Amino acid sequence: MNQRRSFFVLTAMAFGFAFLYIPILSMVVYSFNYSKLVTVWDTANSPTLKWYTALLADEQVLNAAKLSLRIAAINATGAVILGTLAGLALARFGRFKGRTLLTGLTTAPMVMPEVITGLAMLLLFVAMQTLVGWPAGRGVTTITIAHITFSMAYVTVVIQSRLLTLDESLEEAAMDLGARPAKVFFVITLPIIFPAILSGWLLAFTLSWDDLVITSFVSGPGSTTLPQLIFSKVRLGVNPSINALATVMVAVVASLVVVAGVWMQRQERRRQRDVQMALATNQGGA
Amino acid sequence: MVIVEPVCQRGRDPVVSRPAYLTLGEQFTAALSALLGWGPVRAAQSRLKEWGLTGRVAVTAVPYLWLLVFFLAPFLIVLKISFSSVEIAMPPFAPLVQWASDKVMLVRLNLGNFMFLWEDSLYLSALLNSLKMAAVSTMLALLIGYPMAYGIARSERHWRNILLMLVMLPFWTSFLLRVYAWIGLLGRNSPVNQLLVWLGLIDEPGSLLQTDWAVYIGIVYSYLPFMVLPLYTAIEKLDMTLLEAASDLGCRPTRAFLSITLPLTREGIVAGCMLVFIPATGEFVIPSLLGGPDSLMIGRVLWEEFFNNRDWPVASAVAIVLLLLLVGPIMLFQRAQQAAGGVHR
Amino acid sequence: MSALRPQEKLKPWTDPAAVPYVRIERVTKRFGDFVAVNQVSLDIYKGEAFCLLGPSGCGKTTLLRMLAGFEQPTEGRLFIDGQDMTAIPPYERPVNMMFQSYALFPHMTVVENVGFGLRQDGIPKAEREARVAEILQLVRLTGFDQRKPHQLSGGQRQRVALARSLVKRPKLLLLDEPLGALDKKLREHTQFELINIQETLGVTFVIVTHDQEEAMTLASRIGVMNQGEILQTGTPTDIYEYPTSKYVADFIGSVNMFEGRLVEDEPAHVRIESAELGGTVYVDHGVSSAPDATVWVAVRPEKVRIDRERPDQLDNVFAGTVKEIAYLGDVSRYLVALDSGKLVRVTQPNTDRRDDRVTWEERVWLSWSPSANVVVTQ
Repeated sequence: MNQRRSFFVLTAMAFGFAFLYIPILSMVVYSFNYSKLVTVWDTANSPTLKWYTALLADEQVLNAAKLSLRIAAINATGAVILGTLAGLALARFGRFKGRTLLTGLTTAPMVMPEVITGLAMLLLFVAMQTLVGWPAGRGVTTITIAHITFSMAYVTVVIQSRLLTLDESLEEAAMDLGARPAKVFFVITLPIIFPAILSGWLLAFTLSWDDLVITSFVSGPGSTTLPQLIFSKVRLGVNPSINALATVMVAVVASLVVVAGVWMQRQERRRQRDVQMALATNQGGA
Repeated sequence: MVIVEPVCQRGRDPVVSRPAYLTLGEQFTAALSALLGWGPVRAAQSRLKEWGLTGRVAVTAVPYLWLLVFFLAPFLIVLKISFSSVEIAMPPFAPLVQWASDKVMLVRLNLGNFMFLWEDSLYLSALLNSLKMAAVSTMLALLIGYPMAYGIARSERHWRNILLMLVMLPFWTSFLLRVYAWIGLLGRNSPVNQLLVWLGLIDEPGSLLQTDWAVYIGIVYSYLPFMVLPLYTAIEKLDMTLLEAASDLGCRPTRAFLSITLPLTREGIVAGCMLVFIPATGEFVIPSLLGGPDSLMIGRVLWEEFFNNRDWPVASAVAIVLLLLLVGPIMLFQRAQQAAGGVHR
Repeated sequence: MSALRPQEKLKPWTDPAAVPYVRIERVTKRFGDFVAVNQVSLDIYKGEAFCLLGPSGCGKTTLLRMLAGFEQPTEGRLFIDGQDMTAIPPYERPVNMMFQSYALFPHMTVVENVGFGLRQDGIPKAEREARVAEILQLVRLTGFDQRKPHQLSGGQRQRVALARSLVKRPKLLLLDEPLGALDKKLREHTQFELINIQETLGVTFVIVTHDQEEAMTLASRIGVMNQGEILQTGTPTDIYEYPTSKYVADFIGSVNMFEGRLVEDEPAHVRIESAELGGTVYVDHGVSSAPDATVWVAVRPEKVRIDRERPDQLDNVFAGTVKEIAYLGDVSRYLVALDSGKLVRVTQPNTDRRDDRVTWEERVWLSWSPSANVVVTQ
């Protein structure tokens, strides 16, 4: 089905995608530039990998990246567990008492300006420290808690909308056949919504990996995440090794997306073939 | 009754290779169901049930408590601290409640912070400027995002997924780095500048950096995916035969767009606009990297009060004022979200 | 078609000493202000295939879901085989359900789907495999063991769903629109297969459907539902030939309804005067109704004869003009206007291949036998 798309719409799409990708491409291109100036392309010595070598030698960047990875992974796991529970409650438990508040609490963190969330969480941690003595000081723990809190909201939305499109009679059928509710969840619901859980995990991972503002409020002296480090470098102006870092990140994400895309397409094609075969079987009888 | 069963044995019966995660999941499940069936566990379960703690309650309570403690409670603390006064201590504010003697409790509500915000024109103009910047950026994002979303939704199915993926892709790469990319693009003698000179839009290559326009570009650029996705969902759901019916009844395309497509995708427009407007109002990174000293935004003011002046009470007051301003838009967003989320039983 | 059913010869519901297998006692279900099921009482006997028939939203599915345990009755109680099931959760009921969407687990093979219920009961592997193989043979799905649901055709999926719900040998099998997702040809074929399986296994069926043909074919008895209430319970023949209300008469098949008033009320016959007919109708059985009350005479279109000459019959003969004719091959349908303006539907089998049938605007005589009349009061 090829709907008519006017010249205007096509131009707008072209412009939009160019707008989205030119900055990223420019970073990739200039990461191979010999000159330290972004606006000047040093034809004599480019392309060069010197900024990549510089990046690999930078202990500070590597440590920050390791810390960010660790926080992002723990955060994503925690956010997936909490978000799945919340999504399950919202999608499956009907109208329970306090449902409206829970809906509000799971959508608000998505739109709340980060400076407010960051400040609020910091003040909470300070208050908790004086009241119950935990968490002692600020660092990895407080960053992780803060990240889980705002990224679980996104996971909740992903899981909730997946569950709303899942035929509830699958779960009822399992229960009808003798499986208790907890078992139904682990044997039926969980495997079927697994792709949604995976994408929720990746989303939470990215949100945490990327976060600067909330992290800056709740981090302590010994814990500098990668975005914090990048921010402090970027504030001093353009820095080609940041271009190299950006290129590495874009390359990783893009290749992951391509792999996932190819895998999904192959899965889909196999599925199509199976369905066709089932239809062929059906010809000529029941 | 004799029924001939056509058996499809041409070639192999499609044997499905089982994904590893399923096998793993099954082992996990087997262990789990053994555990669930174990006598003491059953007994404990029924004991808990007597106390009203069913699985259902637990599933709801865990995320609920987390959000109450780590998301709702902090706002109450912000509110409390916005009424206290600054002190050189750690934490740097005076306690709200003091015990004058054993029996007398003193509550010192310090309205000074809010008075200060009102009297110092810096805060008010920063607030108004933030709202203006966010509103302009939202409109720009809508103008760019709507045709994009429309074009994607009307593409062939195969292309649709690829184009959507392309919209999402920048989101998965670092936000900070994408904003940073514009520093290079907008600076003096930068490609964008040269293009504008060549087009005759500006006379001499100056720097777009540190202007409001740089901030607009940064916000639109960073938040465009958040605008396109809800719009796409709304447009994709739209029944195409409605437009066919309209044109059959003599409605011209532009008119059909205005009287059918636009109103029927309203939820998507509201959700998209709110997803841009609300965070943009409190944006910190974009104005501090791309904006100049003139493009004051409230998020940056809050940040500076907190980190540079270490005035926590004033920062809290700023947060409360900003929050009050955004309550309306947030409610609007939640309503659009619920309308789009389908029926809740 | 229902005459084919052998167990219809034994009719437990006519035996006052018979103990019902499923007993629904004054069950009400409310969703907020909406009453989905209203004070329904129903007895179903062992080995029956009981059909709940009604339009969508009449509460039949809610009643079925209460039997399965997915919904709790707001009031009333449910018994299965003498046991109170009202508060028992679905996973502890000796009842299985076949879902309208089939609800096959997409991530499991045919064998895993069918064996799922046995696994929950902790049946040892060897026995499980034997029972799965046996039931798959019964539904003729041998050789499809390792397929996944998306690799099956619609008819095969339906049979996997049936096998899965039968393999636990439930006391009661609930079927929610069991043939609704199949195309017409496959549906007719599957109806008979379903009857066969039910008779082989002797399982009690409760079937929900909105398709009256399906209900007539499958059911030993039918319960016609509307707006949360059961209006009439009876064998397919009872429901069709002796409807007790206007709604049932109209819902099952097509019917002509004439409003009238009792003018002669004898134990063995009655006479009803109807302005719509422009005369009186003679009914060869007694009617329990208050004198002078408004009653309705229901006559099925296929019981009305259509002639050019006035038939040699004293009662139930009325003149009219042919307004519409629809030739359907096996039968022809006529719409005949009486002198009062009332339109009467007539269906005549096309037994001969002749050309001189009555035609448009022709004056004709309509007639039917006194036993064709059914008198309803509501």
